[in-house]
Amino acid sequence: MSPYQIKMNIPNHLPNNVNHLIQAYRVAPWRVQRQWIGNALLLVLVLAMVAALYLHVTSRTAIAGREIQDLTEAIASSRQVSSDLQTQLAGLTSAVSMETRARAMGYRPVEPEELEYLAVPGYVAQDAVDLSSSAQPQLSVLTIPPEYNQSLLDWVDDRIVSARRFQ
Amino acid sequence: MRQQYGRRIQVLAGALALFAFAIVVQMTRIQNSPEADIFRQQSEAYAYEYRTFYPNRGEIYDRKGRLLAGEKIVYEIGVDLTIMTDAHAIAFAVSDTLGMDYDGLLDVMQNPPEGLSYIILADYIDSPQAQYLQELKKALNEQSPEGSVGGLTGLQFKAHPQRSYPENALGSNILGFVSREGTGYFGVEEKYDSLLAGNPVTVLIPTDPNKAFEIPNAPDGTTLILTIDRDLQAAAEDILDTALGEYGAQDGLIAIMNPRTGEMYAMAVSRRMDLNSFWNYGAVYSNATEFNPVISKSYEPGSVMKILTMAAALDSGTVTPETTYLDTGSILIGGVTVQNWDRNPWGLQNMTGCLQHSLNVCMVNLSTQMGAGAFYDYMDAFGVGHLTGVDLAWEAPGRLKVPGDADWYPVDLGTNAFGQGVAVTPIQMMSAVSAVANNGRMVIPHVLYAMVRDGRQHEVPDQFGATPISEQTAATLNEMLAVSLEQESSLALIPGYRVAGKTGTAQIPINGFYDGAQTNTSFIGWGPVDDPQFMIYVWLERPSASPWSSETAAPVFAQMAQRTVILLDIPPDSIRQQLVLK
Repeated sequence: MSPYQIKMNIPNHLPNNVNHLIQAYRVAPWRVQRQWIGNALLLVLVLAMVAALYLHVTSRTAIAGREIQDLTEAIASSRQVSSDLQTQLAGLTSAVSMETRARAMGYRPVEPEELEYLAVPGYVAQDAVDLSSSAQPQLSVLTIPPEYNQSLLDWVDDRIVSARRFQ
Repeated sequence: MRQQYGRRIQVLAGALALFAFAIVVQMTRIQNSPEADIFRQQSEAYAYEYRTFYPNRGEIYDRKGRLLAGEKIVYEIGVDLTIMTDAHAIAFAVSDTLGMDYDGLLDVMQNPPEGLSYIILADYIDSPQAQYLQELKKALNEQSPEGSVGGLTGLQFKAHPQRSYPENALGSNILGFVSREGTGYFGVEEKYDSLLAGNPVTVLIPTDPNKAFEIPNAPDGTTLILTIDRDLQAAAEDILDTALGEYGAQDGLIAIMNPRTGEMYAMAVSRRMDLNSFWNYGAVYSNATEFNPVISKSYEPGSVMKILTMAAALDSGTVTPETTYLDTGSILIGGVTVQNWDRNPWGLQNMTGCLQHSLNVCMVNLSTQMGAGAFYDYMDAFGVGHLTGVDLAWEAPGRLKVPGDADWYPVDLGTNAFGQGVAVTPIQMMSAVSAVANNGRMVIPHVLYAMVRDGRQHEVPDQFGATPISEQTAATLNEMLAVSLEQESSLALIPGYRVAGKTGTAQIPINGFYDGAQTNTSFIGWGPVDDPQFMIYVWLERPSASPWSSETAAPVFAQMAQRTVILLDIPPDSIRQQLVLK
C-alpha cells in the first residue's frame, strides 16, 4: 500500500494529530509483520488442508484395497467350503451309502424279467451329464475400479482421451 | 526498544531459515549420495513380495455327474509362540484330541528351533477334530477371568483343501490318488495331473497398503467327466467279489467298454484301496502293475486270442466259415506236438466248430497256412504288443515275439494262434476284438468323456485305431462267435439278448514251464450282436473251483451282462428291433 493512497484515504476534516496517529498506525512495522505472518499461516493452512485431503484419500484407498483382498480371500474360502460340502454330499449319496439305505427301506435290485420297456415317442435318453450350465464361469479380468489404482494425472489423461474420442 | 526486538526477530528468523535451508541441503545431499542407492535397493527389496496362488484341483465326475474326486477342508494346527501362555494346556488338548504324544508336543513348544515363532503341531486334520479344538479354545477364553486369556491362546488353525474321494475304494484303480504334495499317482489323477492341478499363479505384490492390488484369480484346475458309470462300476466290483469267492480265484477283473466308441464304462479289479488312505498303498500292492491290471498286467490270454487268429484267417482269405478241417487231436509244429485242450480229436469241423470247441490244433493249422509273415502282420495290426493309448497311467504294452527276435521259435507261430507264448493286457484284447464288433475298425479305449473349464464343457471326441479286417470279415466272425456260443449252450448266454464271445483258458508259465494245475480263465463277449453296445472282459486268476473258463469266466460274463443291460437301459432284442422298425 503506497503512502499516496493512504494520504488520499485520510478524511480532511480530522485534526492533524489524529491524522498522524492513523498514519503511524498504518505504517507500523508490527502491522506489516502481522500481515506477513497471516499470509504465511494461510499458506500453511492450505498446505495442511491439501495434506489432510491427500491422507484421507490415500487411507480410503488403502482400506478399500485391503477390503478387496479380504473379499477375494472370502470368495476363495467360500469356494473351499462349497467344495467341502459338495464332497460331503457326494459321500452321503455314494453307491455304498445309497445301496445300504435302499436295502434298509426294503428295496432290492430289479431282475431282468421284472422290467417293462415302454416306447416314448420323441424321447432321447441323455447319454452323459452336461455340467456346463451348472459350473460358474470364473472371473478372469481385473475388477478393481480405476478410481482405486488410477492417479490424478492418469484420470485427467483418461478424461482428455475420452473427450477427444467423443468429439 | 521496538527496533531492537525487530532486529532480534530478524536474526532469529534468519537463523531458522538457514537451519531449514540446511535441512533441505542435507536432504538433497542424502538423496543423491552413493549410499542412497543402497537404501533405495533395500527399500525396494521390502516393497514387494512374490506370492504364489495355487488353484483348486479339478473335480472328477462319472458320466452321470456323480462326484468321484473332490476337495474337502482340512486344518493345519500350529502354535504362535509369541502369544502362547500355557504350553501344558495346549499339549494336553492337542494330544488328547488328536492322539498325539503329550511329551513330544510339550518339548517342541518349550524348546522350539531357534528363530521360529510359529510351530506346526499337526496337519491334514479333519474338520470335526479341528472344530472341537476351536470350540475348546473359545470356551476357555470365555471362562477365563477378566483381563486374562484362555489356556489355549496361541493355538492356531489354518484351513486348506485336500483331495477327497467320496466313493472311497470304488473305482480306485481308475482314479488313482493325489499325494499331500499335490502330485497325482496312477490312473486319471496321474494321466491328467497337469490338467487337474491347473496353473499356479505367482505375482509380485506391493507391501505398501496404499497400492491397492487385487489377488489374481488362479483359475481352478480342469474338471473331468469320465466315461465310467458309477453304478455299473459298483455292480462290476460286487459281481467280481462274489465270483472270486465262488470260484476260489486269487485275483480277477471285469472290464466293460462300448465297442463302438471305446468308452470304458467300468474297470473292476479285485485289489482296491481306499483312496482317502492312500498311504496304505504299500500294504495293498506289491508292485505298480497290480494297481490296475486291466491296463498294466500282461498275461497269456489263451483261447480268447483265437478270435484274432480266425479274423486274420478269414480276412486273408485263408478260410471261409464253411471251410472244413479234419481234427486229429494233435499237430506237430517246430518240433513240438500241440494238442487240443482235452487232448482228443474232434473229427471233421468247420470254422465255427473250431471256435465253438476251441480247438488248438485247428488254430495252429490256420496260422501255419497263413504263414508267419501274414499271421504276425495281422497280430501287429490288431495292436498286440503295442500300447492301446488308453488315457490312464501305467499302461503296459504286452509282448508279441516275432520271427527274428532272439527268443522266437517256430513253435510260437502255433502257440501264439491259441493265445500261449504271447503276453497281452486285457485292455489290449478289448481294443483288438473291438474290430470284430465295430465293423472291422478298432477303437481306442478311453475314460475321459469331457472336460469342464470356465463353465464350458468340451466333449472329447472318440478316437479310432487301425482297421485290421474288413467290414465283411467282422460281420462274418461276429455271427460265427454268436452261433458258437448258442450251439455250445454256453453259460455266457443271457435271456433276451443275443451275444457273441469266446472263452479263454490259459496255462500259466512259471520259470519257463507251464503250471500243470492252475490256469487263467478269461471270457470276452459283447452284445447285442446286431448292434453291439457293450463289451465285457472277465479274467479270473487261478480259480480253484474249475480250471475251465466255460465254467468260471463265462457265467460271470452272463451275470455282468445282465446287470449291464439293465443299467445301460438296453432293452431285449425283440423290443429293440420293434422300436427300430417303428
